[in-house]
Amino acid sequence: MLARRAFIFVSLFASSVCVSACAAAPPPVVVPVAAGSLQPVAITPEDTTPKEDLRLVPPEVTMRTYLRLFGALTPLDFQKAARGKDGSNLFDTWDDYVAALGFPDYRLDVPRQTQTNALMVATFERVGVALCDRALEHDWKAGEPRPVAERVVFAFDPPKGSMTTAAFAPGFDVLHRTFLGYPASLAPAERTARFLALYDAVAKSHAKADPKSRFTPDEEAWAAVCYGLVRHPEFHLY
Amino acid sequence: MTTRRTFLKLLSAGTLAAFGGPPSRRALADVAASSGTEFFVFVHAAGGWDVTLWADPRNEARGIIHPASTENTDTSKVKRWVDAPLADGTRTFELVCPSGSNLVLGPGIGDLADMTDRITIVNGIAMNTVAHPDGSVYSATGRHPEGGRVAASSIDTMLSNELGREQLLPTVSIRFPSSYVGDNLDRRVVPLAIDDVGSISRTLARSALYDVSGERDEVTALLSAEAADLAKRAAYAGVLDGMDLQYGGLHRMLSSNLQDVFSAGGLKKAHPEFDYKSRFAGGPAVNAAFAVESMKRNLVRSVSFAIGGFDTHGNNYRTHAQLQQETFDLLASLVRSLDATPHPTKNGAKLSEHTHILVVSEFCRTPQINLNMGRDHYPNNSALVISPRFRTNFVFSKSDPEQLLPMKAKTFADGERAISPPDLLATFLAAFEVNPRKYMRDGEVVRELLKA
Repeated sequence: MLARRAFIFVSLFASSVCVSACAAAPPPVVVPVAAGSLQPVAITPEDTTPKEDLRLVPPEVTMRTYLRLFGALTPLDFQKAARGKDGSNLFDTWDDYVAALGFPDYRLDVPRQTQTNALMVATFERVGVALCDRALEHDWKAGEPRPVAERVVFAFDPPKGSMTTAAFAPGFDVLHRTFLGYPASLAPAERTARFLALYDAVAKSHAKADPKSRFTPDEEAWAAVCYGLVRHPEFHLY
Repeated sequence: MTTRRTFLKLLSAGTLAAFGGPPSRRALADVAASSGTEFFVFVHAAGGWDVTLWADPRNEARGIIHPASTENTDTSKVKRWVDAPLADGTRTFELVCPSGSNLVLGPGIGDLADMTDRITIVNGIAMNTVAHPDGSVYSATGRHPEGGRVAASSIDTMLSNELGREQLLPTVSIRFPSSYVGDNLDRRVVPLAIDDVGSISRTLARSALYDVSGERDEVTALLSAEAADLAKRAAYAGVLDGMDLQYGGLHRMLSSNLQDVFSAGGLKKAHPEFDYKSRFAGGPAVNAAFAVESMKRNLVRSVSFAIGGFDTHGNNYRTHAQLQQETFDLLASLVRSLDATPHPTKNGAKLSEHTHILVVSEFCRTPQINLNMGRDHYPNNSALVISPRFRTNFVFSKSDPEQLLPMKAKTFADGERAISPPDLLATFLAAFEVNPRKYMRDGEVVRELLKA
């Protein structure tokens, strides 16, 4: 028994001596070595090109965008406002367009459309025209001039006098940012001139073609610019 | 400024340029300029039909088969149901054997029994699925979906791509499982998916209180130019090229005054030969009228639509035979209407001589009656073809007499096996000299189905 205790005592003493000796030793030093230079085996330029074609914005997103542009309403509110009570035949009901817009129908296992087609393009026009015409009426033709902050789409005052590039550009930029999400100055160079030409052609046509229209030639020309942006390929593709 | 005239010139130039342009347009060049006179109607009996009531009739309790009987079927409105003894006081039906024909049919065939010299039946089609989405896609494309994704174009898209790119509305799809997948396809043949025919007229309607058509054409011309310019800058121009072509199509659609005719009311008036008041097929009758009218005006290449209600797991099976009868009555009316309509471009020809109809479903129903007195899903199937290019008064292949499962039809390149949807679709393509391999991974042409 005594011998066993002595053995344990000696063992513990020897361990503590060893631990203290180890703790006192200096830590090993790793000497930095300069890395060797890597030699290129082959040089391949980085491929930054897109790897797949443009895709159609899902119909749910398109509809939500329409609603937000029109003032963050519900689909039924949009429908009510777009149809109006004036017999204008600008819009019917969403039910008439959901299939053509590419919505899925889970009752019938009809999948979501992922490609545009001619009828879908026609529906974009139908809905876009309703949105722009009603927005223009709301923003510019509601009796008293509406403050810019309360306007839904045409958040600028139409320039007076003859339309030049300088007069057209600010308003076009507002619409361009609203629908396409970036300044017109960053778009392809010919876009502003192309839309100005559209403005001129529609204003001229409207002045002589349709005196019964609810819009003046300038109003119709701005509405046409709006149609062009809300139906633009960049609006529907990503 | 791009004027309307310039726009139209650009459209014409665009069509000419298609032959040397980017892939989606260049695809035009590899199509022989023939068969532009053929039209197609595809019908999907949605839900899974009971083949024992028409194409593959069973009126004996043999093996696992429980035939339709007075116990589970409302026979009062089924014209060709003639009682035959079954067991325990119940009665089944007598087989329908039209005179002058070697076809043996069930009572659900309705008026189509009078046209056996025009029809081809394919029985014992191996579906390898009992799921609705899978079966629908498999029947229409010849490929099972990959996960939830459709893996191939549907038959209507394939045929429109070969024979109908220049049509105003190449592929109209009314609740049909149409799809547009793969290379070598022109964007103009993307199926025009609609809920009902009337929505075409509403989509094409325009208010007259704000602008005029010429002003909207100016906008469309601008968008066409924008799409073309963006396509030139894009790494992949296919989608933008497609939109460019579709803007051209929109101009043509709006200037064709289609909205006057393509309303449900207009079609019913123009085609009183269809029964719009029938209980199940009254709605689809408008789609059939649309098919006739749009082919008569040479606007479409393919019209596909669905007739729903075949998914009868419960007590609704009682009217399954009536639903089939109305479906086949509608098809018989369609054939008669096509007989009476002149072909739009071939002098002296009837539309029916150049119209080809394929009727499919996703699968058939179980041979047993379930506890709810209905039938569930079963991986066998039948199909109907009405085409002058197919062998008529003819049944190809069969199912097992006791289990209703597909039997080996013939020796294919991969051995003896049952016929499957890709074989039928490949045969349909081959009937119009379209190489199935251009669109389909699977399927072998069954020459026995085609006229010599």
